[in-house]
Amino acid sequence: MENEGNGNCSIFGMGIEGSEMNCFFNTNSMDQKDLFESALSSIVSSPSNSHHAVQFPCVGVGGGGESIVLRELIGRLGSICNSSEINGNNSSNNSCYNTPLNSPPKVVNMSITGHHQFPVDPSRFSTFGGKNELSHVIESGKLSRVSSNQSFKKMNKLSMELDESSVSETETGTGNGIGVKGQSNNANGRKRKVVAKGKGKETNAKDDKVVTEVEKEESDAKRSKSNEEKKSNEKSTEPPKDYIHVRARRGQATDSHSLAERVRREKISERMKFLQDLVPGCNKVTGKAVMLDEIINYVQSLQRQVEFLSMKLATVNPRMDASMEALLSKDMFQPQVSMPNIANPFDTSAQSFPYGFQSQLNGMVPDRPENQFSMNPLMAAMHRNSVIKPPHIDGFIEASTLWENDLQSVVKMALGQDQSQGFLGQMKVEL
Amino acid sequence: MSPQPSSTNPNSLKIQLAYQFLHNLNNLNSKRSNLATTHIRQRSNRVKIAAYASMAYVVGSRRAWSRAILRTIRNRRMLARNKRVDHKITHRPRSAKRRNPKRDYVDPNGNSGQEVKLRKLVPGVEKMDACGLLDETADYIKYLKTQVEVMKNLVDLYSTI
Repeated sequence: MENEGNGNCSIFGMGIEGSEMNCFFNTNSMDQKDLFESALSSIVSSPSNSHHAVQFPCVGVGGGGESIVLRELIGRLGSICNSSEINGNNSSNNSCYNTPLNSPPKVVNMSITGHHQFPVDPSRFSTFGGKNELSHVIESGKLSRVSSNQSFKKMNKLSMELDESSVSETETGTGNGIGVKGQSNNANGRKRKVVAKGKGKETNAKDDKVVTEVEKEESDAKRSKSNEEKKSNEKSTEPPKDYIHVRARRGQATDSHSLAERVRREKISERMKFLQDLVPGCNKVTGKAVMLDEIINYVQSLQRQVEFLSMKLATVNPRMDASMEALLSKDMFQPQVSMPNIANPFDTSAQSFPYGFQSQLNGMVPDRPENQFSMNPLMAAMHRNSVIKPPHIDGFIEASTLWENDLQSVVKMALGQDQSQGFLGQMKVEL
Repeated sequence: MSPQPSSTNPNSLKIQLAYQFLHNLNNLNSKRSNLATTHIRQRSNRVKIAAYASMAYVVGSRRAWSRAILRTIRNRRMLARNKRVDHKITHRPRSAKRRNPKRDYVDPNGNSGQEVKLRKLVPGVEKMDACGLLDETADYIKYLKTQVEVMKNLVDLYSTI
């Protein structure tokens, strides 16, 4: 797997070559051999050029699918180790090891560039925990690879962020000084030990725990590198927050603040849905912003309509006084459905208050012009009416059907006469 | 205000609104100066005020926007009574139809330009949270729709006569 330019691979940051991986594998975690073995086998089966060492993809350690990368790495390592080119690998390994040390900044770009800088410093290996012997590394490489693979996998999954790398680090054992650890450490802010790991194998900067373990054996030299790698890993791990973020989300969900936020958001979305039904033409629109735009437009258009209609009404009906009164009285009667004088189509409930109401209205209106709005005699009358005869409310509904006709008749009558007092008398005439 | 706030039934709501509207119109016009002499704009303004007032009366004090409208009307009346015509209130009793060109403007509170616009359109929601704002907007839209229908019918009636 070439380093797909996956920032994630930053863990290895330095293009951890497969050989480098070997170093990592040289860890204490032999217990995970099984897992790693399986992984390793899979990796081995994967296309493995012995040259991977140089090209180990940044082992996606830093990013999603890094586990795969890791596996590949491991596989390659395995293949490399298995091959008799140990020596060559060693050198490459060495180089790998060196690379991270030499080029810490590469972490970001996992492209396995490390290889070109392998000063092959066997001594370096030793720093890993005293197990510098390549052979040793190689031997355990397989196992360790598996373990590291697993750890890497874990790391990838757990923490694209540096934090996770700790696992890998632990896996890799102290000796691996895998940059991963360093990275994770750094990620966690524990820059101390990562050094050894700094090889550029910044497996997802895992937790400190791993780091701590590694730390013990890591040399400070690596630290810096690992730190840097870590940082790069961090960067690389950040983007691919695929599965790692579950944590964050979960954390958010449990937070009381976020819960309240969520509730609030749900309420708002519920209201938005209701508004969608109200505002015509909003069914296809999705998204709060667009919906809000539509709502604003609709409200504006409605208000403009009111204004326009009021102007029209003002022009169409210059004589609003009498007509309005007439209309009012007429309308008043409507709910009661009792307009004996008027050919009221609704004679539902013969509630004839027309005269009384009208006089009331007329009397009230002129008497207290200022209190019109507050008094609302019409409403009072209606209320009274309704109180007296609740069934009248049904009249409303019935009236609604004949609303237009009735209104028309009312208006006609109203327009026909000029005085409100004589309204009733003339209503008959009009109709 | 209405004897039975059957606002769920659009027809009854319409009727209530119509009554209220006519009543208010009548009162408004009768109170004022001679119709014949008043300018068309004044008249239309009065009609508009009557329309909003009728809306608010039907709803009563249940809603923030209706309360705001009623408040404005009363203020207006008081001012008019005191011979101090506050043109600001008179001419903009309710929603100020300001066309805000900047849509993406974000308030210091983090409100987007749209929310601010909405607050300006709907009366009485200045200090409400987003949730209540949407609620009031929905209610406001409902009554506005009905009011527009009532007025349309009235205009038709008047024009056909």
